[in-house]
Amino acid sequence: MVSPHGIKLAVYLISSYFGELNAKVCDCLLRRGTQTLHQVVSSTELSRKNVKNCLLVLIHHNCVQAFAIRQPGGFGEEAKIITQYMALFDNIIHKLRFPKFIEIVSEELGKECEEILEWLLQHGRLSLSQIIVKYKQASKQVGMTCHFPGDSSADAAQDSFNRLVNARFVERCPAPDPLLEPPAEEETAAKKRGAKSAKIQAQTMEQQALAAAAPMESMRFLVENIWNDSVEKADKRTTDVKCGMKRKQEDLESNTKDPATGEKEVLWRANFEEFIRRLRHKACVANVKVRVNNDAAIVLAATLELSRHSETKLRIDNSVPQSINAIYDEVIKREGGLGMDLERIRASLDDLGCEAPLMEIDETYSVDLKNIIEQARIEEVESIVLKRYGREAYRMFRLLSKADRLVETDKISDTTFVEKKDAVKILFKLWKDDYLEMKKVIARAPKQSEFILWKINKQSLWEHILDEMYHAALNLRLRTTHEKEQEKEILQMPKDKLVGELGNKYMRLRKVCIVLESSLMNLDDSLMLFHDF
Amino acid sequence: MSRSSEAAALKRKRPDSSTQGLVDAELVVLNVVKSKKNQGVWVADVKKEANIAPALVDKCLTSLVKKNLIKKVPSIQNKAKKYYMAVEYEPSEELTGGAWYSEGKLDKEFITVLRETCLKVIGMMKVATVEGIHDFLKKRKVVECCTSQQVGEILNSMVLDDSIIEVKSTGLGEYHSIPIGSVCYRIAVGVTSGPKTIGPMASIPCGACPRISVCTPDGIISPKTCVYFTKWLDIEF
Ligand code: SF4
Repeated sequence: MVSPHGIKLAVYLISSYFGELNAKVCDCLLRRGTQTLHQVVSSTELSRKNVKNCLLVLIHHNCVQAFAIRQPGGFGEEAKIITQYMALFDNIIHKLRFPKFIEIVSEELGKECEEILEWLLQHGRLSLSQIIVKYKQASKQVGMTCHFPGDSSADAAQDSFNRLVNARFVERCPAPDPLLEPPAEEETAAKKRGAKSAKIQAQTMEQQALAAAAPMESMRFLVENIWNDSVEKADKRTTDVKCGMKRKQEDLESNTKDPATGEKEVLWRANFEEFIRRLRHKACVANVKVRVNNDAAIVLAATLELSRHSETKLRIDNSVPQSINAIYDEVIKREGGLGMDLERIRASLDDLGCEAPLMEIDETYSVDLKNIIEQARIEEVESIVLKRYGREAYRMFRLLSKADRLVETDKISDTTFVEKKDAVKILFKLWKDDYLEMKKVIARAPKQSEFILWKINKQSLWEHILDEMYHAALNLRLRTTHEKEQEKEILQMPKDKLVGELGNKYMRLRKVCIVLESSLMNLDDSLMLFHDF
Repeated sequence: MSRSSEAAALKRKRPDSSTQGLVDAELVVLNVVKSKKNQGVWVADVKKEANIAPALVDKCLTSLVKKNLIKKVPSIQNKAKKYYMAVEYEPSEELTGGAWYSEGKLDKEFITVLRETCLKVIGMMKVATVEGIHDFLKKRKVVECCTSQQVGEILNSMVLDDSIIEVKSTGLGEYHSIPIGSVCYRIAVGVTSGPKTIGPMASIPCGACPRISVCTPDGIISPKTCVYFTKWLDIEF
C-alpha cells in the first residue's frame, strides 16, 4: 500500500513536470488503483481526449503502464478485452533522484554517456536512431565539440549507447499493453516466462501485468545493429523535435513507428532497477564504513561489485557468494585495498558478519545485506527520536529496539536510569506518535496490579517513518517553490542589475535554495532506504 | 505456619546470646520482623501478626531498635509508613527502589559520577569486562559501595547511549587477557556519545517537528509559512 503522503508527493512531482491535467489523472490512478479509461474519465471529470493524452504522456515517461485483460462475455457474447491503466508510483518518485542516476553514469562511463542518459531521462523513451540524431546535433553545436569530435559521430553515439546498455543502465521498454490471460491459462504462461513468475499465485494483477510487459531477459539488453539509412530518415523527422521537460503529445506517437517501413523501432529507456541497485550497494558500503571500519567497507564494495552481475532481483537479502580469491583480486584493485592481504580480508569479512566456511576447498562468502539495511534504518529512526524526544527517550527507544520484545515500564526506567514518572510520560508520548506499541497486563496474584508493557513493531514503524519522510520531502519542495515565488522579480532580472540590496537578496535566495535542495537530496537517500532497498 | 507451631519452633531453638534477656513479647515481635527478611514489615502488620496488645508492640519495637536487633527503614512506595527490618538484612529493592534510589529519589548525581568514572576507566584500559572495571574501582577506591552488578547496569545504560559499545573478546591482540567469548566494553568510535550519524530526516525541521501531523500544504500550519523553516534557513547564513 502506498503511503498517503507518498501519493501527495508523487502528484506534486507530476504536476511540476507535466502540469495540472497529468497530475489529476495520476492522482486518480494512485488513489483508486488500476482503472480503465472510462473510469478515469468519470472520476476526474476531464474530457476523454484530455485523459487519453495525459495517459500517453505518462506512459511515455514510464509513470503509467497499460495492460489488457480478457473479460468473459455472458450469454453468448464475445469475450471483451479491456485495457486498464496502473500508475507506477516508484517510477514517479524516481524523478527526484535523476541527478543521482546521472552522476553514477558520469563517474563510471564519462561525459558522452551521461549526455545520452540525460536525454533518455528527459524524454522518457527514445529509439537509437533518435539518439544518434541528437548526438549529431549536439556535436555540431559550438562548445560541445570537445567531447563530440570528428565526423564519425554516429559511430561514437552507437558506441556510447552500447556502453550504457552493456552496463545495464539502459534497457528496452516494456510492451505497451500486454494481454493478461484469465486464470485458467495462467499456468502455461507461467511456464513460458520461467522462474520469474513461478510464484504467480501470490502475485496481484498489477505484478502480473508488469511481469508480462517486461522484455525477456535475453532481449532486455540486446542492441541490434542499426542501418545507416534508417538513421537518416529519423534525422529528418526529429530535427524539429525540441528538448524540454513538458513535451507534448504530438511528438510522442511519431517515435514509435518508422513511417517509411511501417516497422516498429525499438524504444529504450533508463533502467531504474540498475540505478537503484547501485545506490543500494553504495548505501550499504557507506553505512559499513561508519559503523564498522574502512577495511570492511572496501571488502564489501569489492564483494558487491562481483555480486552485482548475477543479482537476479533488486532486494536480495544476501550478496551472491564469491570465492575469497575473486574478492582478493577485486579488493586490491580498489583505492586503499592494495595493501590488504588474505588475512586482513578474512578479518573484515568476519567483521561483516560472514561466517568462515567449514571446509577449505570452497571458500566462498556472502554478506547479509538485509541486516546492514536494517541497521541503517534503525540508526536513522534513532536519530529522529533523539532529535524529537530527547536523550532519555533515545536511550529508552534503543533499549526497546535491542530487546525486540515487550518490556515492562519499571524495567525500562531501571535499565535506562530515567525517573519512573518521567519514563511513563516519555513512553506515552512515543506511543501516541505511533513509535511504540503498548500492552496492558493485569496480574491478579499476589495482589491486583496493572503492568504496562512496551514494544517496537518495526514493520509498522518503518511505514510510519516513511510516510513522514514523504511528507517532509514534499514540504522541502513546497518551501523551495515558495521561496522562488517570493523573489520572482529578482529571478527575472538581468544579472548585471543585481547589485546592492537586490544582489544580497539574490545571494540569499541562492543559498536558501541550495540548502533546501541538498537537504532534499539527502532525505531522498532515506526514502530509498526505507522504500526501495 | 500457625502461631502455636511457630512458638514451638522458637522454643526448640537454642537461644543465641543476642536474644537473651528479652521478654517474651519482644521475642515474638522480633520473630515476626525477622521472618519478613529483607522485605521489612509495616508496623500495622506486626501488630496483626504478633497478636499482642498494640501498645505493647510499639514498646517492644522501640526497645528492639535500642538493643540494635532491628532497624527502621524508609520505603519508596509509601513514605508515611513505618517499616522495620532485622539488622542483618539490607532493605530489598521494592522498599528502596533499588540501589540507584536514595531516599526515594533517583540518585542522578551518583549515576553521573559513576558513568563518567567508568568511561575514564574504559578509556584507560581500552577494553574491559564488568569485573575488570569493578576491580579497578575497588582497588583505587574511586567509588565506594558499589557492586559489580551496579557497574554492569551502568555500562548497559552507556551502551544504550552509544557512548561505549559491547563486544565479545576474540582472545587476540587487545583482548589477550580476556577469555574468548566473554562480554567486554570499549569506547565507541566517535568520541561524543550519541548516534554516529544524524540522519537526513533528523537534520531538517520537519524531522523534529511536533506538528508534522497537522501540517498541510495550504493549511494554517504549512511549509510556506513555517517558522521552523524560517529560523533554520536564517541560521544557516
Ligand atoms: S513544514 Fe514546519 S510545521 Fe510543517 S512539518 Fe515541517 S517543520 Fe513542521
